[in-house]
Parts: sequence; structure tokens; C-alpha cells
Amino acid sequence: MKRPARGRPARVGRGSLLGALLFLATAVPADETLMAPLAQSFAAPDFDLPCEGGGRCRLADYRGKVVLLNFWATWCPPCRAEMPSLERAWQKLGGKEVVVLAVNVGEDEDAIFAFQGDYPVSFPIPMDESGAVARAFRVTGLPTTYLVTPDGRVTHRAMGTREWDSAAMLAWLRAQARPRRGEAGDGGSGRSRPDQAALNGR
Amino acid sequence: MSTRCTTSNFRAWSCLAVFVLIPAGAAALESGSGVDPQSGLRFWFVRDEGMSLRLAQILPDQTRGFFLARGFSAAQADRIALSCVFQTDFRNIATGDAPLAYDLREWVVHYRGESRRMKLRADWAREWQEAGLAPGPRTAFEWALYPTAQIYQAGDYNWGIATFDLPPGARFDLELVWTRAGTRYRHLIRDMQCVEDRHMEPGETAE
Repeated sequence: MKRPARGRPARVGRGSLLGALLFLATAVPADETLMAPLAQSFAAPDFDLPCEGGGRCRLADYRGKVVLLNFWATWCPPCRAEMPSLERAWQKLGGKEVVVLAVNVGEDEDAIFAFQGDYPVSFPIPMDESGAVARAFRVTGLPTTYLVTPDGRVTHRAMGTREWDSAAMLAWLRAQARPRRGEAGDGGSGRSRPDQAALNGR
Repeated sequence: MSTRCTTSNFRAWSCLAVFVLIPAGAAALESGSGVDPQSGLRFWFVRDEGMSLRLAQILPDQTRGFFLARGFSAAQADRIALSCVFQTDFRNIATGDAPLAYDLREWVVHYRGESRRMKLRADWAREWQEAGLAPGPRTAFEWALYPTAQIYQAGDYNWGIATFDLPPGARFDLELVWTRAGTRYRHLIRDMQCVEDRHMEPGETAE
């Protein structure tokens, strides 16, 4: 009988870097249904990308609002799965304090247009065909969603899907649009230098 | 232990009870394999405190179709399709504050008495650069491949394809390493198998 080995603490020594990162990441308690605070917030790299359907999508245009910045692709099943709840959240939030931008990574307008036949959404879709913006935001897998504060700092992240229109999530997102005293949009998690000051699309 | 679980939804864990190991005083680790009733393909899974991993076979024809539609030549799509591709879903299922980290460079593939690494994003990037692959397909490939290293907060996960660079039908063991709340863990998944390169008939399974 083949018996699965028990998961057990390893005796190898290569974990020091990961251990250090984990230590940093444990600073703030998390709610697994919401977004996790970053160990260090960073200034959102600005971008200027073509928008699906025409025009340009510039992150700087949304300064003063909370931006829910979703990175996705049409071929990614979890990305597709969360699109309806993102759309409902967008509808319920009304775009006054919190906006949704869903950056498509690595695809052309035809692919996104076809996708919209099955998953109609009304929020802006910047097209990051080269993946440069995703890389500037340190995205490593799809979907990844960041919270950008009204003053342009990236403070929280969710990897994988969330129920974006749950009552708890909507309340939490609205709360992010109203900075509490002493936080100044930093999310209470420190600051680091931006990766890149500005990015332009094709 | 030859275990089989006929569910297409890996959240349906009730079928796993037959091979749950619960050492005294320790949290349960569940590990096993099953056959997806819809695809007829095999999957392997591990579920431990705060972590869940599922690796599911993908037919070479599925992989060929995916990459042919994204600008790859037939030869390039074939190269990927015959690299022992698994759909991978690794997630932090903890509630509360318990970061989970992994680095695929630490995972070990045991095949025919040899220990080797998985074929990862950086390995493929070098190959595509040498082949002169266009930026579009290269970008599509990069994002389709499972991330090499991640730190997941509670509720986080990723989905993507993992490649083992083994021939169709190859059997191998996979040694996993992950870190949870500062402690590193190992687990060996025994007798995984790359799917054969063939057309499956309705109702047929990969075995």
C-alpha cells in the first residue's frame, strides 16, 4: 500500500527568505472574505491604456476615489467566475466613491469583445496587451485585485476570486473611501517606493 | 494506496474520508487521487491545515487547442502539450491570519530514480526567447502558467497550468514544500501520472 507521507516541518534551510516575508505579512489580521492588507503599501504605477470599446483608460483620472483594480483574462476560469459579482458591485457602488477597473492582461479587443457576449459588464476594461502594467503592479497570477486608495496608494490585495457584491465586501469598500484619522490612505501597513512612475499602452 | 474519488468538484470533500490520516495530536492531512467524472481525467489533491492543492491532468489536445488559439505554431503547441501538463489550483483555505507560501523551485519530481525540478516560467521563457516566439504568444503563455512562487493570505489562491517536462504516460512522485505561518512542511504525492496523448471517447477514463 502506498501511504501518503504526512505533511511535516521540513529540515531544509532555504526557507529563511520566505519565513521573513511571511513574518512581514502577518502584521495585520486578515478576513479571508475581504482583501488582505499588503505588508507594505506602494504608490500605484500610473497607466494609460486603450479601453475596450474605445478611448483611453488612465488610472490618474480616478484619483480621489477608491479603485478596485482587477487583473484578468478571458481564458481564466476564476476570472470569469467573479465577473458577475464585480459587475453587481460596480452597479451597487455607483462609481461615486469606489470604481471598478478590470485590466485585461495579454489579449486583444476581439477576444474581450467576444467574452462580453457571455459576460456583459459595464465597468471600464483597460487592455494591457503586453502585460507591462500587470508586471508593474507585481501581479504574478490571475485574477489578482488591488485596492488603490483615493491618494493613489495600493494597500490591499486579493488573489483569486471574491464575492465582490457581498454586504460585508461592499461595506468594507465604502469604508476604504473614507479615510480614518491618522491613516492618510496608507492602510496602516507602511510605504515603499513605486516600481515605475508611469506606463503607457501601445 | 489506490484511491479514487468520483467528483468533479474538489470542494466536495466527503468522498475523501477513506484516506484521511489523522496522527494523534496533529491536524489531519488528506491526500489522494480521483477521476473527474466529466473529463474522465485523473486528479491528485492534498489538503492540510490552511492549504489545499489540486493537480488535474489536461489532455494534450486540450493544451494544443488552447495555445494554437493564442498564436503558437503547431510544433510549439505540441511541445507544450507533450510536457506533462496539469491544471493546478493551490489555495490558502485558512480563516483568519495565516499566510501560506510556496516556491515551485523547491518542489522535487522523482522520476525513474532521478530527482528533478518542474519546468517553470523562467525555463520556458528562455526556450521561447531562443525560439524567437512573438511577444503576444509569450505573454499568453506566461500568464497561463502557474506562478512560480506566491504568498497567499487567507482566502487567496491561483489557478494555472503546471508543466513537469515528462513524456506522456510517465509515472512520478512529487515532493511538495510549503510554508505556513512560519513553519515549513513537506508532503510526497506518490504515483502521479502524465496523461497519455490520445483521444478519449465519451465515458472513457484516463486509466
